[in-house]
Amino acid sequence: MVGDGSFLVEEFIDSITSQLDRVQDALRIKAVNRPLTYALKDMALELKVFVEMDAQGRVRFRTGGPNEAGASVVHLGFTTITKPMIEENTISLSASRSPGLEEAGLSADERMRLERVGVRNVAQLERLNRSAGVQSVSRFADVPVDRLKRALVMNQPKITAVRPEPPRPAPQPARPPAVKATVPPPKARMPILPISARPLPPQAVQPGPVFNRPVLKLQRGTKLLHLSGSRLIGEDGPPVVRLNDRPLGISEADDDRLVVEMPDDLQGGALEVSLPDGSVASYELSLDDGDGWHGEDVNDAWAPGEEMS
Amino acid sequence: MAWTELAETLLQLVESVTPPAGSGLVVTEAELEVPLEVGSTVHRGRLVIYGGAPHSRWESGFLPPVHRSRLRVELLEEDGDGR
Repeated sequence: MVGDGSFLVEEFIDSITSQLDRVQDALRIKAVNRPLTYALKDMALELKVFVEMDAQGRVRFRTGGPNEAGASVVHLGFTTITKPMIEENTISLSASRSPGLEEAGLSADERMRLERVGVRNVAQLERLNRSAGVQSVSRFADVPVDRLKRALVMNQPKITAVRPEPPRPAPQPARPPAVKATVPPPKARMPILPISARPLPPQAVQPGPVFNRPVLKLQRGTKLLHLSGSRLIGEDGPPVVRLNDRPLGISEADDDRLVVEMPDDLQGGALEVSLPDGSVASYELSLDDGDGWHGEDVNDAWAPGEEMS
Repeated sequence: MAWTELAETLLQLVESVTPPAGSGLVVTEAELEVPLEVGSTVHRGRLVIYGGAPHSRWESGFLPPVHRSRLRVELLEEDGDGR
């Protein structure tokens, strides 16, 4: 609401919805202790407002004041809907999880022009780009092509780090208590893959061998692979991960992390992660019977050459 | 008159259809057409809608305009979810 008492239509609807939710919640609480209770099923409002347009081109309502004639009448109807109806009529959670246009580096003016063509976040921009092309989006929304391309590239789904979870050692037989050690035991940590194992930028799926894939060296018996990145979950869910064309299980998935289950008969080969935007991040998986760790870890207290106090 | 949040007014309207205890009556459905004075303010960055009964049933040049509202209230089934 601005100084003149006007408000955006969406703000008004959001506020009314919040008030109606409060009514329903209060009635629901009353139902716990009372044999009969009521629910508010529908509400219609005939609102006398003055419709205005602000400097940004947004429609605002202002309720009429005393002795102010000529107000428009807006009829608003609110009704209760079921959960399936909500799911049918709203964008998916994965779409709303996508970065907003502001995070994509677009200016307020560019955001407003994109919102007019129904684009409120990067996922929607990607979808429109896939179906209509960036040139068409640029023409309809009057936003320069390079700005749109930059926003899309900046927010591409990507994998930034891969960490194998080392296999658990076999249980040892019980030993008599040893003399108290003066050096603390090393904490169990997952090694971070070396720079050489970082993924290349996602590339389109192409038949035939893919060269220069980053190499992941895993210890034999590794059960889990942790992938970190951004926008890892798309509208169709988490990415598909394949090892030598064999799909692998996903035990945990979030927008910024993915835990991939490695098979018992783990073998080296091509590990491919199909990201939500259709690109594929490829790695060359090789097995190592040693400690599986050949990278540089600056936090390693047990690294050779370092004195322990 | 202090402004009342719309939710409070709606709750009181819904409550008003409850018959007196011991009357043996059950209202299963009610439709209410109610005039409301509607106002708004911003509280903690959020728009809050106020709505209450009109000051007077007479039109005057110094009272805010009256908006009409229509509510449909239904008896809630015991195992219903209220939505």
